[in-house]
Amino acid sequence: MQNPSGQEPEDTLSVTPPKKWAAGVPAVVHALEYSLEQTSPRRTGVDLLTMNQVGGIDCPGCAWADPKPGNRHRNEYCENGAKHINDEATTRRITADFFREHSVSELAARSDMWLNQQGRLTEPMIKRPGSDHYEPIAWQDALGVLAGELTSLDSPDEAVFYTSGRASNEAAFVLQLFARAFGTNNLPDCSNMCHESSGFALSETLGTGKGTVSLDDLHHAELIFLVGQNPGSNHPRQLSALEEAKRNGARIVAVNPLPEAGLRRFKNPQKPRGVVGRGTQIADRFLHIKPGGDLALFQALNLLLLEAEDARPGTVLDHDFIDAHTSGFDEFVEHARSVDWDEVRTATGLTREEIEKVRDEVLRSERVVVCWAMGITQHKHGVPTIREIVNFLLLRGNLGRAGTGACPVRGHSNVQGDRTMGIWEQMPDAFLDALQKEFGFDPPRPHGLDSVNSIKAMREGRVKVFLALAGNFVRAAPDSEVTEEAMRSCRLTAHISTKLNRSHTVCGDTALILPTLGRTERDVQADGEQFVTVENSMSEVHTSQGRLEPASRLLLSEVAILCRLARRTLDGKADIPWDRFEADYGTIRDRIARIVPGFHDFNARVTRPGGFQLPNPVNEGVFDTASGKAMFSCNERVVPRAPEGHLLLQTLRSHDQWNTVPYTLNDRYRGIHGSRHVVMVNSADLSRLGLAQGDHVDLVSVAADGTERRAADFSIVSYPTAPGSAAAYYPETNVLVPLDSVADISNQPASKGIVVRLEPSGA
Amino acid sequence: MAPAHDSRPHVEETVEVAVPVRTAYNQWTQFKTFPRFSTVVHDVEQVRPTVTVWTLGYGPMRHRFAVEIVEQDPDTCLIWRGLDQHPSHQGEVQFRPTRSGGTAVTVRIRLEPRGVAKLLLGSSKGAQVVARPVRRELLSFKDYIEGVGQEGGAWRGTIRNGRVQHDHPEPPRSRVARWPVG
Repeated sequence: MQNPSGQEPEDTLSVTPPKKWAAGVPAVVHALEYSLEQTSPRRTGVDLLTMNQVGGIDCPGCAWADPKPGNRHRNEYCENGAKHINDEATTRRITADFFREHSVSELAARSDMWLNQQGRLTEPMIKRPGSDHYEPIAWQDALGVLAGELTSLDSPDEAVFYTSGRASNEAAFVLQLFARAFGTNNLPDCSNMCHESSGFALSETLGTGKGTVSLDDLHHAELIFLVGQNPGSNHPRQLSALEEAKRNGARIVAVNPLPEAGLRRFKNPQKPRGVVGRGTQIADRFLHIKPGGDLALFQALNLLLLEAEDARPGTVLDHDFIDAHTSGFDEFVEHARSVDWDEVRTATGLTREEIEKVRDEVLRSERVVVCWAMGITQHKHGVPTIREIVNFLLLRGNLGRAGTGACPVRGHSNVQGDRTMGIWEQMPDAFLDALQKEFGFDPPRPHGLDSVNSIKAMREGRVKVFLALAGNFVRAAPDSEVTEEAMRSCRLTAHISTKLNRSHTVCGDTALILPTLGRTERDVQADGEQFVTVENSMSEVHTSQGRLEPASRLLLSEVAILCRLARRTLDGKADIPWDRFEADYGTIRDRIARIVPGFHDFNARVTRPGGFQLPNPVNEGVFDTASGKAMFSCNERVVPRAPEGHLLLQTLRSHDQWNTVPYTLNDRYRGIHGSRHVVMVNSADLSRLGLAQGDHVDLVSVAADGTERRAADFSIVSYPTAPGSAAAYYPETNVLVPLDSVADISNQPASKGIVVRLEPSGA
Repeated sequence: MAPAHDSRPHVEETVEVAVPVRTAYNQWTQFKTFPRFSTVVHDVEQVRPTVTVWTLGYGPMRHRFAVEIVEQDPDTCLIWRGLDQHPSHQGEVQFRPTRSGGTAVTVRIRLEPRGVAKLLLGSSKGAQVVARPVRRELLSFKDYIEGVGQEGGAWRGTIRNGRVQHDHPEPPRSRVARWPVG
């Protein structure tokens, strides 16, 4: 298999030393440069000055929490957020002429960056069976085609409804309601591919799928772990919280296979010391861990804590907490003592002394927070790793107290809220019962398809219609060629989108582009101007309201499109007032308030400045688990290994990238410019493999299914990755991730720890 | 009360309020209402049962700090500590019934000043600088609760070692989504 994404010629690759700090003045310059390239100074100003402010736009860039109203900066955004919001607010437009000029197959040969740069979609388009061009279609007709295809299916389960984390609570609620009234639980979402492992591990051990910390906890923690995450590029506003924590005396341990700039030092451009000074050192201790070694690291740390307790009984573990609030401690202790230090060394690449120094940091700290992201969740053993992190937190009672807790750092801005609204293929009966009571129809009970299983079902012809609420499913999903084959085998694919992406070009017999309003734009419906709501990574629910005029008068909101589609498809089935929902989103929120726990008085509470915070049971002394207590777990030891001559590859994003969309070919912090077709390998491994910087290689993944997956013609960059490992950009290397290579339990694609070999290109 | 060997400045003030202990205690747990009677508390944000963020103000000056409640027993006491390190403090409020059916409310605050603040507050006279406003605030609380006669709400939970003890008849689990978040 070859990398299926066609490309324009890239610039000449140039490599400079990796940066040792993140943000600062260059971040401001780059953000403004990109913003002004996309749109006017006035629109840039409107966007940026209302972004993450009370009554303004929630930045779609990430799900990091905002400071409380009254404590926000006038400029409460980061470089990537500014780029992202103005990428959406671009003045460039795609019209019918564009699609007359460019065939679908031609567009399929374009890069992600080129497609994104063409501007905003402005009118509904259809690609009819046998045609290679999109053509304009009236909204009524477009929705008629889609509704007709849905109603002609033999079973509702032949349709899949995908949701991206950009969707608002209101749109997500309406989509799941429509899908279930239609008769299916096939509701895959981007969560399936990013933090599904967190949800499963935390639900099992703590009784909640959400993180337990707020910004105040981070600010007042004494020790913070940043594990498998790159805040400088993927959640830059987290750096402000870490800076405040450092100012309050916190220490930070960063654990990552790459020494990212944002883990080292942060120059806050809103503070004098960030502009002219040295900024704030972030990590006090950096553990240069091998990909996938985190499970072994936390198992080793937990053993060291048990041994410290043995040496000084009663001084290390929080016995009161363990006795009163946890289960499974004795079994855990027995299992934990079987740690083998040679295995730990092999799995982590760290020495015992390095880990003992971290233990000492832990013993000095009364309040500990552990943050993690996809460097953990996307491993095959992501769920056990997070369970082991929970073990670590439980041992010293670092849950449910101020300044402590578990912090899965989520990416897309409403990825958490969409789940809360019922976008999940396995919703519990309590939620379905509430839907039934409220709307008078019988929701389907069998579990639906997640992202990976949707691809399999499409490929096997069991799913014939694919509707996406935002996102770029084809590029976000693993095993690119398999995913594309699956999409192409559908009878109809439809995308509710703001901008063009590869998912519009790899499509079913019939394909629809349903252009929609962006976050930045005014949303005026029959009952007046509307706002939507979102839930951030720290369970705070608040409003988002755009101020710009829509990119086209023909755009409909996500809610409007879904309500109209539901009316056409369901034709009176179920007592659901779709027209009222479209006219006044407050009526949707009234229903959410009656169905989703924690949302009582939704309309009243969400319009308060800053919105409201959903309660977290862990912080109220409740562990809603199988045992009724926080659960220690015994996790089998895992030593990720690559055969001789192979490396463990992790896919990652560049700094100038948002999800599947690269804004430029540069990765400023890592010092890589002009090309994304690079593979980062450390110099010792290069010597061992007889390769050198600048060599062109194919990345070939070694999979259990025996299929050779190849990402062709990548330039080698000598980079301080952990020994034995490599890194390359997502989504270009998704082609290397087998569809069946998933995290145990969560079924999340395992995009980290891929065993690859590097073969000279053209060999 | 601060132990005899504890050299850190501390203040202790008591007022008697003419309402039952339960009423006084319940009203005290409604932290967000403090600005209604206080002259220095401008805003209180309840992050969760154990964590509040207070904004105090003197004239144009504002000071915002987070507080963790580490122990709380209904109708008996609350013990808290400041989460910020500079300056830090610990405090306690006790509620005791009086013979007349009222409540003796005692506030103790132990300061851990640094730098210049340590010089200013390190003496017994310095501690009086803090004691006066504490007493003033207690008297304001007295005026308020005696004036309105009954509490405006209550939180009757128990906190031990900074953790809410789950002993409510109706657990909060019914108020939150239980499904995993990916």
